[in-house]
Amino acid sequence: MTDLSSITALGAQSPWAEIAGALQMSEDTNLGLASLALPKEGAQPSPFDLILPDVGIATTNAGYGAFWTGPNQWMIEGYGHGEPDFAAAVKAQAPDCYVTEQTDGWCAFDVRSQDDGALDALLQRLVNLDPAALQPGCVARTGLHHMSVFVIRRANDHITLLGMRSLAGSLRHALHTAAHRLAT
Amino acid sequence: MTRLAGGLIDRSKPISFSFNGKTYGGFQGDMLASALLANDVQMVGRSFKYHRPRGIFSAGSEEPNALVTLRSDAWQEPNTRATVTELFDGLEARSQNHVGPLKHDLMAVNDLMAPFLSAGFYYKTFMWPRAFWEKIYEPAIRRAAGLGSLSMLPDPDDYDRGFLHCDVLVIGGGATGLMAALTAGRSGAQVILADEDFQLGGRLLAERQMLDDQPAQVWVDSALDELRSMPNVRLMTRTTVFGAYDHGVFGAVERVSDHLPSASGRVRQTLWRITAKRSILAVGATERHIPFANNDRPGIMLAGAMRAYANRWAVAPVQDNDNGIAIFTSNDDGHRTANDLVAKGVKVFAVIDVRQNAPRMGDYLLLSGSMVTNTRGRHRVSAIEVTQDGTPTWYPVGALAVSGGWNPNVHLASHHRGRPVWDEGRLAFVPSEAGPFGLIPAGAARGHGSTQAALSDGVEAATKALNQLEVTPVTPAIPLALEESQAQEAFWHVPGKKRAWVDFQNDVTVKDIKLAHQENMKPVEHLKRWTTLGMATDQGKTANVSALAVMAELTGKAIPETGTTIFRPPYTGVSIGVLGGGDNRHDFRPERRTPTHSWAEERGAVFVEVGQWMRAQYFPQKGETHWRETVDREALAVRSAVGVCDVTTLGKIDVQGRDASEFLNRIYANMMATLAVGKTRYGLMLREEGTLYDDGTCARLGEQQYVVTTTTANAATVYRKMEFARQCLWPELDVSLISTTDAWAQFAVAGPNSRELLSRIIDDFDLSNDAFPFMACAELSICKGLRARLFRISFSGELAYEIAVPARFGNALMERLMEVGADLGVTPYGTETLGVLRIEKGHATANELTGQTTAAMLGLGRMVSQKKDSIGAVMSRRDGLLSDARRLVGLKPVDQTEPVVAGSHLFTSGASQQTDTDQGWITSACYSPHLGCHIGLGYLENGDSRMGEIVTAANPLQGQSVDVEVVSAHFVDPKGERLRD
Repeated sequence: MTDLSSITALGAQSPWAEIAGALQMSEDTNLGLASLALPKEGAQPSPFDLILPDVGIATTNAGYGAFWTGPNQWMIEGYGHGEPDFAAAVKAQAPDCYVTEQTDGWCAFDVRSQDDGALDALLQRLVNLDPAALQPGCVARTGLHHMSVFVIRRANDHITLLGMRSLAGSLRHALHTAAHRLAT
Repeated sequence: MTRLAGGLIDRSKPISFSFNGKTYGGFQGDMLASALLANDVQMVGRSFKYHRPRGIFSAGSEEPNALVTLRSDAWQEPNTRATVTELFDGLEARSQNHVGPLKHDLMAVNDLMAPFLSAGFYYKTFMWPRAFWEKIYEPAIRRAAGLGSLSMLPDPDDYDRGFLHCDVLVIGGGATGLMAALTAGRSGAQVILADEDFQLGGRLLAERQMLDDQPAQVWVDSALDELRSMPNVRLMTRTTVFGAYDHGVFGAVERVSDHLPSASGRVRQTLWRITAKRSILAVGATERHIPFANNDRPGIMLAGAMRAYANRWAVAPVQDNDNGIAIFTSNDDGHRTANDLVAKGVKVFAVIDVRQNAPRMGDYLLLSGSMVTNTRGRHRVSAIEVTQDGTPTWYPVGALAVSGGWNPNVHLASHHRGRPVWDEGRLAFVPSEAGPFGLIPAGAARGHGSTQAALSDGVEAATKALNQLEVTPVTPAIPLALEESQAQEAFWHVPGKKRAWVDFQNDVTVKDIKLAHQENMKPVEHLKRWTTLGMATDQGKTANVSALAVMAELTGKAIPETGTTIFRPPYTGVSIGVLGGGDNRHDFRPERRTPTHSWAEERGAVFVEVGQWMRAQYFPQKGETHWRETVDREALAVRSAVGVCDVTTLGKIDVQGRDASEFLNRIYANMMATLAVGKTRYGLMLREEGTLYDDGTCARLGEQQYVVTTTTANAATVYRKMEFARQCLWPELDVSLISTTDAWAQFAVAGPNSRELLSRIIDDFDLSNDAFPFMACAELSICKGLRARLFRISFSGELAYEIAVPARFGNALMERLMEVGADLGVTPYGTETLGVLRIEKGHATANELTGQTTAAMLGLGRMVSQKKDSIGAVMSRRDGLLSDARRLVGLKPVDQTEPVVAGSHLFTSGASQQTDTDQGWITSACYSPHLGCHIGLGYLENGDSRMGEIVTAANPLQGQSVDVEVVSAHFVDPKGERLRD
């Protein structure tokens, strides 16, 4: 174990969390990410028994998840596997595939709410997606305040925004501002 | 008071407001305009050019006259239409465009100078002397022009933005819009109904209309109750749909707290981007006036507006003891106003109808075949001249209502060049079929203006939209309305020699149009620009069609042959603040931060924007008073000891695959397939047409794995270009690409002590020159087990490395390097020093790779391999590029106290300094602490064979001309021994 200390994407020692009205927002610093691409004419693997999904779908299985990012390319998620090297674990599951560590390339913000309309209202303020079309299990790559993000609807009451790590501060600002405007 | 009985105002909620510092009273439900009228305030402003007294002309967003400034200090907002400003307690409004009191405007002298201020006067008048234009004429005109003024303070309000999606967007909440929304809502479609008013109902609120034998308001309330109960319907009041854009997208502004005394933490307005599968344009129509002599006095207003004030806001523009109101009309709708006023107990003097044998429609004096030919009254109309059978007669009046027919509001339908078409039967332009895709005009917006037709058309339009969406329509019962008489006569203006206003807001008269015609400005586009007609904030909503008709009369053509009137977004003014969506200043755009941002900030680093990135530019220390002192210190520290610079911003692309080598061979101009595992190579990428695109390094980490490094600026575009090549040009290759720019924190560690510094953090790895020579690369671990990547590459020309670790550890690594390297003189350095070091070494960067430079110009022509093909290689060998003899050289001032300025152009010493004698230019320049003078890099004709020549660097912008010596671009260690040491 290295003797260097890590910091969050927001530059802090511990993850950010905040409540605004009916919205609970938190930074997930323990999400492992690795991209997986099929070799030409390679067979589709099932890392961690995941079904690698089609466009717009996010699948999960026993602490792992996957969503489509490009032709024959997926992002594999490892919930609670944020310490590098998650790619090595994925590569072990799919040795013929091209796997790249992505854990530190992204920041992840979870938003939860028990209020049915609150998440939809937040999505309306943030992304040009019809909330009705973003049902649980759906994912979309889209623009958010001029940033590229993945929006994952994990459940009715839970969305995750994945953004570029270097833009974490701006993404947090967008989230914080929109949530507080809604709460006012 | 001029209040009437009834209306939709809440008399139990009185409101206090001020106009020009005087306090008045109104009621909840009032607009500022209705409240002013209720307080007998008729004159509310001065006109744009002639500073004529102006009053309230309309009752909607088409208002050209009643423009006021609201609020004060930073909240001051000019040019707000009093007709659509909701009254609230404490509202402050002020009139505009006058010097001194409103009633005694010193600038009213302009009216006396009217003969000199005709159409195009400033094009003709301010011609001589030429030099006066910029210094005297233009400033003077700009001072005199305009209406309200800005506070010049930052906007203190907050704004928001958002996105909405629906099956059917209904624009306008009148009879047509409500029926359309009911139909679509009952059918289960996702519906948005947007209206700019705070109260839905449209013209139904302004009429004494009965629907199913009940007042229309009863039906409106019932319809709204039903719509509010539908979860699939969203009602958006105070929301103006201002523009139609591609793919069914509409821009809309919701005024969230404009109507409140205090926003109380809420946003002021929200910008909505609405994506609709289908849209129904149910925005009604705007009444047009009839130009006649002196038709612009306060107290003269549109007949439909006067009716609306009486019915909805219970106010008339006259007091009980005033003279009666006259109505001047060319159609039956004017009579409707007379009847409504009579019903409200308002004294009506007469209806003056231009039609011979005009129908008698009520109990009032009817003057058929008559025209209003002039008016009197200093601050409000007091008398009108009526000409009947050629005989003029003056009559005292309290006010005058004018009706020249109704123009459908075609604005949004014309936003996609949907040129409106002339409907001779309706004497109006109606929307064409060629408007925005999916937009269905309905009701008065397409000329179906009677209440019954508007209701039916709403159902019809919604049914059409639903059918197109394959939703089964469920149509509501259409309430029965009494059919209104709508006969009209084509009558566009009253002939005469005096000024008759067509465009009130820009002071354009019939005479101006005649003059434009006389001066051959006949096409509509020329007419508009010569007279400024329709160019004010109201975009000529009440003027354009009348102007076309006047021009048609002059040219002897029909109106549609003369031209059409077409509109652009926005429908009404949209504040810049809301277009920004609430993010301004620091938050105006996203900002990318490196892993050491906070660390650098704590050390007082000065940051510089590099694209979206914020990079540490330099790290000033106590006692350093100028940035040059800091940069000199940092640069010397690197050359003498060791420096560390955060280079995380460089693009990093992970390339894997069986064909990765072949792929990179085609991407890079130089050979990459021969690169051994564990080695790094400098590479050049070319554009398709042969010039340089980007440069960087390519490291081979494994048989099938490479890491491509790009410049910061081109990180995204290079990745995009490679992905395009992978997917589209060579899909047969087995290769995978993924950006890892953000995943790795990367640091340049440069200087003679860099090896020693790194050896203190590296776990069991031989860093000796033999084991890890120049251009080597490796995956290793540092600081007790942290995986890292190490590249022995140098941008500075010193013994140097770049080390990469997972981004979350970047900050700690920087701290560790500073900690363990203190005795080695380790110094953090920023981009400014990075630039100095690379200029001293003669390394190219974006300044040299301009998009027009070639590999040969950099002296790297041989890197473009002849043994293989790659993007741009063939085109790089074309004559046009091969014949370019400019080469990168170093430049040193002969007098070492002289500056070298980037951008200066190079000339042969003693030659004239002109374009055709230009020999090149200086691309980069800096002060070199190593050499003790300014130095530069530049492209010079045949530069590689002119070493030692003295040329002139000319900087005509600052009048500088410096003699510089042509030297090698490698000011430091030209043999490259240090970096190989």
